[in-house]
Amino acid sequence: MAEQSGTETLFDLWKKQMDDGIQAWTRMVSQTPDPGQFWRPFMDQSIATWTQMMAKGPVSPDVMAQWKQFLDQWIAAWGKALEQAMGTEAFAQALGRHLDQWLSLQAPVQKGAAAMNDALRAMGVPTQADLTRIARRLSGLDDRLEEIEDRLGTLLSRLGGAPGPARGDAGSGSPGASD
Amino acid sequence: MEPERTILRMMNFTTLMLNPTPPPVGMTPRDEVYRKRTARLYRYASSRTHRTPLLFVPNLGISRPYIFDLLPGASFIEYMTREGFDFYLLDWGEFGPEDNDLTVEDCVVRILPRMVHKVLETSGASRLSMLGYCMGGPLSACFIALHPEAPLANFVNMAGPIDFSKTGLFGCWLGPKHFNVDRVVDTLGQMPPEMIMAGFKLLRPTMDVSAGLNLWWNLWNPEYVKGYQALNRWANEYVGMPGEFFRQWVRAFYQENRLLQGTLQLSGRTVRLEAIRCPVFAIGAQEDYIVPPASVRSLMEAVVSQDKTYVELPGGHISLIAGRSAPVHCWPRVSGWLAPRSS
Repeated sequence: MAEQSGTETLFDLWKKQMDDGIQAWTRMVSQTPDPGQFWRPFMDQSIATWTQMMAKGPVSPDVMAQWKQFLDQWIAAWGKALEQAMGTEAFAQALGRHLDQWLSLQAPVQKGAAAMNDALRAMGVPTQADLTRIARRLSGLDDRLEEIEDRLGTLLSRLGGAPGPARGDAGSGSPGASD
Repeated sequence: MEPERTILRMMNFTTLMLNPTPPPVGMTPRDEVYRKRTARLYRYASSRTHRTPLLFVPNLGISRPYIFDLLPGASFIEYMTREGFDFYLLDWGEFGPEDNDLTVEDCVVRILPRMVHKVLETSGASRLSMLGYCMGGPLSACFIALHPEAPLANFVNMAGPIDFSKTGLFGCWLGPKHFNVDRVVDTLGQMPPEMIMAGFKLLRPTMDVSAGLNLWWNLWNPEYVKGYQALNRWANEYVGMPGEFFRQWVRAFYQENRLLQGTLQLSGRTVRLEAIRCPVFAIGAQEDYIVPPASVRSLMEAVVSQDKTYVELPGGHISLIAGRSAPVHCWPRVSGWLAPRSS
């Protein structure tokens, strides 16, 4: 009975801390979404609950299992709370703004890369753009070869027997218009 | 019991720290039967007791396909081949800057038809089944809708989004008001793996804490540790997405929901889901935050198939395909639905 009431007290304590934590987090998110502050309530509550658990006496398998269960529920509750907060228009807007800022920072980097490419080209060294161009040409040649293969397949099948190609028209064996 | 487990935890923790090499993955024997650009088609060894081959179409980019053949005894592909399916996997591959011009259109009207043809050619079958997982679901649906002449025996959509107005947080973040996809693609060229990783980690910020906690709890069990190592390796290896594909994927699917509305144009033709007439099996996961089940279920109303079934299984997006619950809840349902329709 005493054990039961101990568990209940612990559960109430955990529930209260979780509610407080979620409220604190929601308040904080509505002000400044800083990652450091974001996890602080969670960590503080972990430590507080752990201290409470330790104060209750030596660790037994039951206590460990309860602790694990509490943490699972806690994490699930946090997950739900975060999901709600992140599903808001304000969060999407903040995320979009952050992405825009990050993309703006990429512009000078790309400018630098372009200047580097020009320098390499002047020295006769192939750049990434050159290699990409060659790879695309090879890919184009591969496509053309397959087209020729398809047409040969069609001709052979008309002459008798051999299976037809796959161009765009899956499985039917006759050339399609989509390739 | 607990002291023994604590000792085992300590021992396994030491092993994990000293030898963090994950176990080998993707061990089911297979042959590469075709390749086009970065895409590869693999055929797996199997008793092939079912006559109709099964083409598995996964997501393009984002993650590597070895998740479907993770570990011996914990592999979807191994399970399906043991059930006698002639299993083909389409691996879209990894993309470099030279692939940035690849579009959804290329995948649906150029690559998939060839893959389907190769499956029929190499298996000698007259029909095939398609199983789309995640993004592979809508890509397969587009293919089937655009190619009514394709000899499709069955279509299984496993956690593939169809109604993009119900795609949860991703739908919210990728909305046209706040996400300028043109700016992203024009600036970066492709969708880099780091950004994809950031998006997925943000989607579930408690995931790593939860995984760490579960690892600590199960650290006494070497089988769990092995599975964790393999899954953790996969979960941290992201694959980029070609720029034009990403542009089209976000705009036409997420922002304009064209697939469900019947306004998606590929190669000058409109994709109409009502053109799908073959038997359809759709599977949603109750706690799927990447593709919420409501988004998957919409396929049921969109197709005109007479034989159509929808099930919602416990777990999340990945737990349909890997992990401890998949062989219990999901794989037997897929096999059980397909088997009588694959003769």
